[in-house]
Amino acid sequence: MQRAALALRPMLLALVVASPVLIGVLYAALASVGVAGAGASGHVALDRVVDVLSTRSTWRAIGWSLYVSASATLLATLVAAAVAMRFGTIRRTDRAARVLATFPLPVPHLVAAATALMLFAQSGLLARVLFAVGLIDVPADMPALVYDRAGVGLILALTWKEIPFLAVVAFAVRHSEHDALSEAARTLGAQPAQLRRLITWPLLWRGMAPAVIAVFAFALGSYETAVLLAPVDPAPLAVLTMERFADPSLARRGDAYVLALVGLALAAVAVAAHEWARARWSA
Amino acid sequence: MNSTRATHAARRGVWPTLALAALAVSSLLPLLVLLLQSVGVSWRWPLLLPEAYTTIAWRAIAGAALGAAALTSTLLALATAITSVLIALPVGRALATLRTPWRHVAAALVFLPVAAPPIALGAGLQVATLQLGLGGTFAAVWMAHCVPAIGYASLLFLGVFGARDAHDEEAARSLGASRAQVWRFVLLPTLRGPIGDALAICFLVSWAQVALTLVIGGGAVRALPIEVLALVRAGQDREAAVGALLLVVPAMLALSALRAGARRTTALPA
Amino acid sequence: MSRVVMNACMLSVLAVAGLAACGGDRGDATQLTTTDELAELSALPWDSVVTRARGTRVTWRMWRGDPAINAFIDGWVAEQLRERYEITLAAVEGQGAELVNQFVLEREAGRGRGTASLVWINGETFSQMRAESLLAGPWAGTLPNSRFVDSASPIIARDFEQDPAGFESPWGAVQFALIYDTVRTPEPPRTINELADWIRAHPGRFTHDQSFTGVTFLKLLMYARGGGVETFAGGFTEERYARGRSAVFGWLDSVRGNFWRGGETYPPDVAAMHRLFANAEIDFSMSNNQHDVLNKVRQGVLPPTARALLLRDGTIANAHYLGIPFNAPNAAGAMVVADFLLSPEAQLRKLDPDVWADGTVLDVSRLSAEWRGRFTALEQATVGIPGDSLRRYARPEVAPTYHERLQTDWRAWVRGEAR
Repeated sequence: MQRAALALRPMLLALVVASPVLIGVLYAALASVGVAGAGASGHVALDRVVDVLSTRSTWRAIGWSLYVSASATLLATLVAAAVAMRFGTIRRTDRAARVLATFPLPVPHLVAAATALMLFAQSGLLARVLFAVGLIDVPADMPALVYDRAGVGLILALTWKEIPFLAVVAFAVRHSEHDALSEAARTLGAQPAQLRRLITWPLLWRGMAPAVIAVFAFALGSYETAVLLAPVDPAPLAVLTMERFADPSLARRGDAYVLALVGLALAAVAVAAHEWARARWSA
Repeated sequence: MNSTRATHAARRGVWPTLALAALAVSSLLPLLVLLLQSVGVSWRWPLLLPEAYTTIAWRAIAGAALGAAALTSTLLALATAITSVLIALPVGRALATLRTPWRHVAAALVFLPVAAPPIALGAGLQVATLQLGLGGTFAAVWMAHCVPAIGYASLLFLGVFGARDAHDEEAARSLGASRAQVWRFVLLPTLRGPIGDALAICFLVSWAQVALTLVIGGGAVRALPIEVLALVRAGQDREAAVGALLLVVPAMLALSALRAGARRTTALPA
Repeated sequence: MSRVVMNACMLSVLAVAGLAACGGDRGDATQLTTTDELAELSALPWDSVVTRARGTRVTWRMWRGDPAINAFIDGWVAEQLRERYEITLAAVEGQGAELVNQFVLEREAGRGRGTASLVWINGETFSQMRAESLLAGPWAGTLPNSRFVDSASPIIARDFEQDPAGFESPWGAVQFALIYDTVRTPEPPRTINELADWIRAHPGRFTHDQSFTGVTFLKLLMYARGGGVETFAGGFTEERYARGRSAVFGWLDSVRGNFWRGGETYPPDVAAMHRLFANAEIDFSMSNNQHDVLNKVRQGVLPPTARALLLRDGTIANAHYLGIPFNAPNAAGAMVVADFLLSPEAQLRKLDPDVWADGTVLDVSRLSAEWRGRFTALEQATVGIPGDSLRRYARPEVAPTYHERLQTDWRAWVRGEAR
């Protein structure tokens, strides 16, 4: 009883912080079944939900968005962790590396995407360098890295955008690492390689996990990057959602809320998976 | 034997240098490209450098929408950072008192506004701000930016309060300190680092925000990223590059200053 | 202190949640609606409308995507309105689908008057705002300058075949054109058939964008290959559309493999297409405004040798309009702004390629000799496609449903879905 009462107020606070999302879910649910929003019929009908979930492009969008954001998150995590491991000391070069790695932190997604377009387009700077050294003759010779089905440009832009944030976190985790633990392991005769594998990496990964999940969710939901760099097919989930919000047919705009709920559900799954993993760790 | 060791040493010497160079290129090249784009004339295929240079886009800042937008964005981000940290501090502290199953549920709830796609979040917030009669106002956008920012900061403080022990507080309380005194003399001094981090993160959440500003601001609140997006979409690449640099450079400087000022501590819950 | 902050935050967010959850309230019934106010204003002499508008603020939601247009509105128009009527003009972003969504939400939130007093619309947006009762009116016929409007032109008097019925006032007219480079393509194709041959002879050098302009190109194909605009005039029917659709997608299927990127992907918007064109990735761009190319060359977005090109099969011309939303806070101010924008002075200035190059909606023969002379002089001075060619190849819009269906079916086609 006592414990339940103690938990009540903090839980209410957490609910309050989450409430805008919950209101969003509520409104999106109403709009999904045709009770609210543009072109709403006013009575409950599930045909919109069925329609969206039975469309091929919806599933392709989900799959492709998951692929792009997972690839970018993985790459950014690896780079950030490697940088934190490699440049963790107080040496001057290491400090310079830390500054460089975290320097682009405030660059918004939008700017990252616009810059990626300038660099990676078939007539972009990379292509012009290849032209200058005689490797290609016309823009069409350049491999397609933007608006491409493999999503290379988009993945690179997202990776580049997320490295600084993950690097900041990785450095902070390394900094606060329990030296006592490494010290104890060392006195017990652990080799540097063992130390890294058994202590440093696991601690780093645990420390970075929330940020990694946040980055993954961010990449998944990011619209500006996707709309500037993604192909028309498969369309990323965020682009498909906005496309439906602005659908020329009013009757189809409610589809956007179904897609928004799908996006929210994916984010919620990521968050739940993360908390579940943490619960297991702390147990 | 000796030569192998020398090669080893050389390799150890080469790789970090290469990595450092790669980092430098990756971090600085995009900025250099933006800078060239902001002053370049007729920078078309296959030119490696612009045909000519002009400062017209930079000179236009003062009179143009970009200047006003930069001001709007600064105010918005400062307001968001301060409000969010003020709210998230007690929230994070309260959540840290929870025990295991509840703490994870609460953390997941607080994580939701951080992870939810802005498009999905925007729909709910738009209805709410219109209900309050704040549609398309600065205040509405400010509130909207606070939503993910509070989520971030609460998570951060949850981590910070979860990791520290409450002995100092208890000691102070048992010596007769009031609640306000505990905050002022015990908590805040040791929290300077995390508060600095939280302010920086919340500032950036607002500073780079596009989707929420567009949806909630209804086009009327012209923050800097909105102007830049409009310029990119209008094909005005030179002006867009100026806007992008305005978005990036002051934020980098402010962030460096803040980080230099605050003592480094854990940036997120470990 | 922490408890105060906590409680305040909790209360405020819960209040928002509660308010949002109860929704659906249609506002204060005792308040005069914008439509009532417009009816009242329409009965008044114009001077009284101007008096009521004096010293007020008008928020205008419009497309803000072109710096030339923004400079015209924020500069000259805003100054004139301030000097003549002491009206403060605030032009803010908002167009098309986004406008409709916004006003639907404002109606659902039911907070009496909204934020915008004027909107820039046409075609499907007009049709949707009318269908959802989001426009106030009628009012356009009471503007003094409406007597100069070219009401005989099918392109101005009908908005995608819809009768504006006084719920929107015309203020500009444009015509679709391809854009090509006279150096790269000295002998451009002049018809849809020639274009198809050209595309096959130059693989990877042609595309269209995914936005409104691209769909206008598809509609142009529909007219040219589906039996002319007459086939589709007089409202939407499934049978006619089925015919038009097979004409459009038949043509696309026959050339898609030779499109830029093999027709796998398309530039997201006109700006992206202009970028591809300027960087010689493709040899054609397009625009809904035949004079846009002059503007873009001056801004340095397009190379100086870029020119507009009309296809002889006919190109689509349409007008754009101003509407007053159902919850406009300042109906009188909106009317005065709309009237000013119809004035010969504003129309002439907007027509100038150095300003915007937006076509006039006025019938120049109804103007005084002095104004007539100025319009003729400007038309003669304008380089680019001569006025009589424009008129000869101009084709009106058809019902907006054609546009909607082409957009939807094109997306399904490009994504390999059944349609």
